[in-house]
This record gives sequence, C-alpha cells and structure tokens, in this order.
Amino acid sequence: MRLLAFILMLLSFGSQALAADLAVTVRDARGAPVKDAVVMLYPASGTPPVRVAGPYRMAQHNIQFDPFVLVVPVGATVSFPNLDNVRHHVYSFSKPHPFELKLYGHDETRTIVFDKPGVIALGCNIHDQMIGFVRVVDTPFAVKTDANGLAVLRGAPGGKASVKVWHPYLKGPGNEIAMPAAVPGSGTGALTISVDLRPPPDHAHGY
Amino acid sequence: MMFRHLRTKLTVLYAGLFAAALSLVSVAVYLGVTTNAERAVRSELAASGTVFDRVWALRARQLQDGASLLSRDFGFRAAFATHDQATVQSALDNLRARLGVDRALIVGVDGDVMAAGGAKEAAEASGLADALQSGDETGGVFVMNGAPYQTIAAPIMSPTLVGWVVFAVKLDRHEMSELEKLSAIPIDASVLRRGSGGGWTMGGAAPDAHVSGFIDQALATKGGVRELSGPDGASVALAKPLPTIGGGSPTVLLLKFPLARALAPFRLLLGVVFATGIIAMALLILGSWALARSLTRPISALDDAARRLQRGETVHVAVNTNDEIGRLAESFNGMAGEIRARERRIIHLAHHDADTDLPNRLALQDALGEIGEGADGRLVIVAALGIDRFNHVRGAIGYGMFSDLMRELGGRVMGLEQVKALGRMSTSTLGVAYLADDVADATAIAEDLLDRLAVPIVFNTHAIDIHLSGGLAVAGVNDDRVASVIERANVALDQARDGRRRLAVFDELIYGDPVANLSLMSDMMRAIAEGHMRPFYQPKYDIREGRITGVEALARWCDPVRGMLGPDLFIPMAEETGAIRGLTDCVLGQAIADQARMIAAGHQLSMSVNISGRLLGDGDFAVAALDMARAASGKLVFEITETAIIENPEAAIANIERFVAAGIEISIDDYGAGLSSLGYLKRIPAHELKIDKAFVMGMAQGKRDALLVKSTVDLAHSLGMTVTAEGVETPMVMSLLSGMGCDVAQGYLIARPMPLADMLVFLAGDAGRSAVDPPQEAKA
Repeated sequence: MRLLAFILMLLSFGSQALAADLAVTVRDARGAPVKDAVVMLYPASGTPPVRVAGPYRMAQHNIQFDPFVLVVPVGATVSFPNLDNVRHHVYSFSKPHPFELKLYGHDETRTIVFDKPGVIALGCNIHDQMIGFVRVVDTPFAVKTDANGLAVLRGAPGGKASVKVWHPYLKGPGNEIAMPAAVPGSGTGALTISVDLRPPPDHAHGY
Repeated sequence: MMFRHLRTKLTVLYAGLFAAALSLVSVAVYLGVTTNAERAVRSELAASGTVFDRVWALRARQLQDGASLLSRDFGFRAAFATHDQATVQSALDNLRARLGVDRALIVGVDGDVMAAGGAKEAAEASGLADALQSGDETGGVFVMNGAPYQTIAAPIMSPTLVGWVVFAVKLDRHEMSELEKLSAIPIDASVLRRGSGGGWTMGGAAPDAHVSGFIDQALATKGGVRELSGPDGASVALAKPLPTIGGGSPTVLLLKFPLARALAPFRLLLGVVFATGIIAMALLILGSWALARSLTRPISALDDAARRLQRGETVHVAVNTNDEIGRLAESFNGMAGEIRARERRIIHLAHHDADTDLPNRLALQDALGEIGEGADGRLVIVAALGIDRFNHVRGAIGYGMFSDLMRELGGRVMGLEQVKALGRMSTSTLGVAYLADDVADATAIAEDLLDRLAVPIVFNTHAIDIHLSGGLAVAGVNDDRVASVIERANVALDQARDGRRRLAVFDELIYGDPVANLSLMSDMMRAIAEGHMRPFYQPKYDIREGRITGVEALARWCDPVRGMLGPDLFIPMAEETGAIRGLTDCVLGQAIADQARMIAAGHQLSMSVNISGRLLGDGDFAVAALDMARAASGKLVFEITETAIIENPEAAIANIERFVAAGIEISIDDYGAGLSSLGYLKRIPAHELKIDKAFVMGMAQGKRDALLVKSTVDLAHSLGMTVTAEGVETPMVMSLLSGMGCDVAQGYLIARPMPLADMLVFLAGDAGRSAVDPPQEAKA
C-alpha cells in the first residue's frame, strides 16, 4: 500500500518534472479583461492535494471587504480583521459554511476555518454595500485574475486538464464555467477564456 | 317682383336676416361649446393619464417598500438562505395579508417559486424567474393565469442575489374602476395587451379593430390624447404603454371618454340656445309682420285712396300718426281736397259762363237729358231768347254792363216757374228749357216768357229797355238732321229775326241743310285749288251798234261728282266763309287771260267780272286785283252789287276810286233788287248801271215795271252812266228796251253763259249778224 502510494507520488513527481505554466486570460463578452475571476485547473492525471499556507485574511476596510475575492484552499483559516472605526456584522448564508460574526469593533479579529470547497458569499448585516467572496478551492492550481484579466497557473502537470472559471457575476450554474484545456509539457501555455457577466448589483464596488 | 305686398317683403327680409344671424350664432355656439368641451375632455384625459402615472408609481413604491421590507429582513434572508421553507411561507402570508396584495411570491434565482397562495399560484408564476433573470425591470405588468398584474420584485441579497420577493396586484375591473374614480370626468379605463395574433385584447375577448388600430398608432407616434372613432360614436382616448417584466407582451392602459358624454352637459345649453332661437324667430316674424302691417297699412290705405281719387271719387285717408307716413297722408288729403276743389271749379267753369256765371250752353245741353227723363210724355222745348239790336245796346252801355244785364236777365228767367233749365248760348242769347203739351202750348208759354222778361232793367237809375226775340225748337224732333235742339233754337231765333217776327218755331224748310252746306264748302276750297272753278262768259249786246261789245265772266263749278253747279249755290256760302277771295282771284285771273285770247281771235271785247261787296273793303284784295288788272289787254269792268258795299263804305269807296284811277270801269249790278240807295249812286263813280232782271222780265207783263226801267235808264243816262238790262229773254223786251234808249242787253235772247271755246265760236258767227235781228238760236 505504501509502495503504491510511493509509485503514485513518483508518477506525480515525474509529471511534476514535466511541469509547465498556463497563463489564462479572462475576457468578457466585449473583450474587456475580467478581474477577480478565479481560474482553477484540474489535471486529467489527477489533482494533487492542496497545501494550506496562510495567513489568509479578509479585512473590512473603508466599509468594504478587502479583497473582494479571496482564494483559499480547503482547510484554511481565514481571519476577518476590522480596520474600520465602525462595527461590522459579517455573515454568510452560503451552504458550504454559513456563519455569523456578530458585531465586532476596530482592530478586533475573528477567524473562521473553511473546511469545504465552495463559494462563501460574505455580507455585513449593517452595511448592505459590503460584499465579498471567499472561494474555497480543492486544487493547488487556483489563481484569481489581476486587473489585466490574467491568471498564471504555475507548475501544472502537462497534458490534458479541465479548467474552471468562477466569478461572482458570471452567468452560469454556480457562477462557474468549465472547459477542457491542454497544459504544455514545458514553458508557458496560454489560454484565453471568454465569459458572460451579469451586471453587478448596485452596491458592488468596482463593477 | 317677388313680393306683391310690402309687409311680406319686410317680414321675409327681417326673418331672413335674423335667421342668418341666428344660424351663425348657433353654429358659433355649437362649435365653441363642442370645441371647448372636447378641449376640456382632452386636457382632463391627459390629466387623468398623469394621475394614473402617479398612482401607478405610488403603488409600485408601496409594493416595493413592502417587498423590500421583507427581502432585507435578516431573519427572512437567513430563513430563505437556509431553506427554512415554513418560516419563509409564513412570512409571505403575513405580509400579503398586511399589505392586501393579490399575490405574494418568492422567486429564487434558481427558478424555484414559492407562493403565498400555495403550489397552484406558484405554478402560475413559473415564468417569473426567467422574466426577472432576463430583464432589468423589477416592476411592471406580468400575466398570470391569463390576467395582467402590476408586479413588483424586490431582490433578496444575501448578500448576493438569491431571489426576489414579488408582490402583484391584479389589474382587474375593480382596479380600473378605482382608477376611474380618481378622474374628474367619468372616463373608461381598461388594460389591453397584445395577443399572439398581433391584435390588442382585453381579458379574453378581442377588442374592435379600430381600437387596435388606434393603440398601434398611438404607440407608434407616442401621441397624447387623440380622437377615437368607433361604432358607438367618437371618443377621445389616451393609450399609455405600461412597463412589463422581462419583455412580456406589450400592455397598454386605454383611457377613453366618449364625446357624446362630454357634450352631455352642454346639450341642455345648446337646446336652450336653439329653443330660444326658435322662439325669438317666431316672435320676430310676428313682430316684423305686425310692424310691417302697421307700416304698410297707411301705405295701402294711401294706395287705395290714390286709385279711388284717380276714378274721381272723393277720398279722405284717416291720419293717426305723426311720422312721415302721417304727414304724407295729410299732404295726400290736402292734395285730394284741392284736386276735388279744382275739379269742381273746372266743371263749374265748363258749365258756366265766365262773364255772368250763368249756366252755359253745355250746362243746358246736360240739363236737357234730365229734363227729358222727367218729361212724362210732354215735349221738351228749348227757347233761344236773344236781345235785339245787341250791337247798339252793347255800344250804349258797354260790355261790362251788358254782362250785368245778361246776368239780371238770367236771374229773371230762373225765377220763372216754367223754366227747367237755363244756359247762356252766346253774348246776347239765353237758352231756356221748359215743358209743353204741344207746339201751340210751347208758343203760348214762350210768348208769356217774352212778355214777362221784356221789362226794362234799371242800372243806376237808368232804365234800359229790353227787346227780345225768341226761337223755339222741340227736343227729339229733327235730332237726326240738325246737330242739337239748342242749335235749332238758335236757327229759329235767326229765322224769327229774318222774318221780323217776335217768335218763330224752327222751320227745317227755311233752314236748308247745313250738313250738306258744310261738305259743299270744303269741296269748294278743293275745287278752287284743283281748277274746277271756271268762268263762263255771257255776251253783252250793244243795242245801238247791233253787236257784241263785251262779256260778263260768271263763275261755274264743274264738279266731277255733282256736275255743273250754278253760282246761286256756292257764292253766298263763299262770301260767308271767306272763300270768295280765292274764288274771285281765280275767276279774275282766268277772265283776263281769256280776254286776251278773245282779242287775239279778233274780238275786241270788254271783260266784266263780279266783285263781291265783302272784298271791296279788303286792301289786300285791291292790291292783288290791281296787280292782275295791269296784265289785262282790253277794257276791264268790275261789277259791284250795290247792297254789298254797306259793310265798310269808306274803305270800299277808296278802293273803288283806286280801281277807277287804274282805268277799270265800275258797274253797279242788280240795280233795283235791294234797297237801292241814291246816296251810293252819288258816291260811287260808276260807268254802268245794270238793271235787275226781275224788272226787265216783268216789262212784258206790267206797265209799272216798264216805267221803272224807263225812268232808271233816264236816271243813269242823266248821271253819265250807260245802262245794261239783264234777263233779256224775248224779242219784245228787246224792242222795248231799244225804244227806251237802253244801251246794252244781256240775257238768254242773246246767249246763255258758255265756256271760252263756245264763246269764240259764237263770236265768230256774230260778226255778220244784223243789229235789228238779234240771234234767236240763243234761246234754244
């Protein structure tokens, strides 16, 4: 059993030895770059376990969640520091992990451990305009796009894979789309994915 | 002319003008009212549209507030997010009841629908999730179970959009009537949506095609209030598009107001205007009829009066106004009065003598008719009573006083009971009409009248003797032959005076036939002009020399119709009418010319021409006669009837002396027939005296005539005149005359008067005849 595990590990290392990068650019229907989209890669050869690093932080700053989208691996502990001078009442009704952090003030921090993959939509019961997302992923290859819509997935094993793109306003079941992709044996592969976005709610900043 | 009466014309004119004005006013009122009403309705409808917008927005807000209240509730959101179905359902029911909305739903972004009414209502709203997902609208019309609802969706953010709280109010009849109540005018409100076939439907039924067309047009042009004409009359309508959720079938709100209803409040006003117009029209017609009547009645009266005046009736128009017509009537009455007065004066003048104001001849004539009608079988007698010696009386008292005298005499006549009528017939003659049983009675009455009138008349203490003669004529007798009984009475008066009687009854035999005379006279004028008047010549035989020494020219009228007419028939008439001048000129001219012819044939003869006594005083004639006499180639003798020169003795003697001075011999004709005056014999420088044939022809029978002839011959000889005997018809008379020393003989024994041609033949034969043997054949 251990041997088998080892072989498998070797294989994986072997494949790791053949690892490459995949640069994914996400654009909307009009061709504009989409930021805060989470790009996830699931190699066909099997997804390696996630590594929890940290710290993971979702601050409340200027009556907004910062960052807007936080990508964390399963099992990560996320702190919720309040940097504002007002109190916040952070909650989430999201199925993977509903929680409620009742009124806490400046420089107070609460932490939550997210142990199931999925989307955690965050709100503040006091400030309607505050909205944020914690994307709990079950793959080590998950990066959110920058302002240029670019997310570079590093060290992915070459070969066929499945790529998922999630964005809070993306049209589709679970605000997510999936598509097959090929990771090159070496170097950097490029992939451009076009998505359809709903207009953001009025209070969502930046959209 | 269209109108026979002024009043009809005026009435029609006024009524027509008023009707035109009334029609204009009516049309203006009608247009004004309808335009105003329509405008009011339009603005009201537009206002209603605006009100509806606000009502719609207000309720949308209301629903939104309610929905938001729920959708933002943390507990609710928690319950919804955690799929606490029971809690969510109870919250929904609670809020529906509180807000009184028809439907309350929760729609999840995943398409799950939860309804307050349960699964059935949830099923009816199954399309709502897609509609909300696809569109941005969160409010608008949404159709559930075939019925339109005003729908509001409030998003449930937890914190992302997980669903919607949806409230819906049914746009049913009840809702529409609530809306209708908000309008100031009773509009019809209804919601229609476009059906699958493209037409607009209300509920289940398809509306009229014209409504569909109207809505299409209104949406296309985004027009406001417009007119919509349908089978139930014209309306003004406003179609407002309603927002829909998720691009559902277009829906409109149709606000409609029938124009007939808009005009309803004004119908009474229009009715009153028309009724007032009709009543005013009737009053005007009556009024103008009455006015025209009152205006034209006096005119008609004047018109009628003028016609009657024209027929000669006495008219008077009643005047009862002070206006122009009243004054016209007054003037008319004045004029009519003056016309009547003038007419009376003219009639009076026509029937009366201007000098004496006695009835005149015409009045008498007129009166005779009436008298004849009342004669009762008696004779109507007209007596002409003439004042004798008129010239002397007038000369003595003057014309003016003579008129007074006639008036006085007329007054006397009028006072006599027998007299029925009186008329002045001439300056000195009065005509009197009376009734008599017979002519003898008439004469007796006339005698009586003359007796009673012949009483001296006293003027200024001077008594003037009146001598009257009378002439009688019976009316109805001889009317066909002599123009009138008055004329006959006049003639009878002349006959009385001629006969030197006091009274005479008209004698037709003596009078002759004036009608025949009249035609003779006009014929004679023509005969002179046409040369039918010719001289015949009778030879004058010189007894001592035993030859013809002269001829007498005797006028003969050779009428183509009547034949030869002797001078006795036409000379007296010619003298009376003045035609004698033309006749004498004619005979004298021809005689002078014929004398020249006789002399040319070798017969040196004197030419005797009869000159009427009436011409002797005429200076013009004397000049003309002397003119002609200068052309005479032989001796010229003018034979003058001694009685004829009485008229103007001084002028006549002067003319005779001019003739004598010109070498013309003067002969006194018919000596002894009239009242021969020795004074004339003395004054007239005559060369010859012609003894009237009455004496000459009587010589054979009576010694007395022979003695008169003898003494006349001696008288003439002693005065230095030759003597010519006329009417010598027998040889015995011839020898007696010869024995008495008579110079010339003239008569049938020598020759009858004959035309020039015969005379020339006769003279040629006479040349060898013996003086003692006068020509016997002349008697043949």
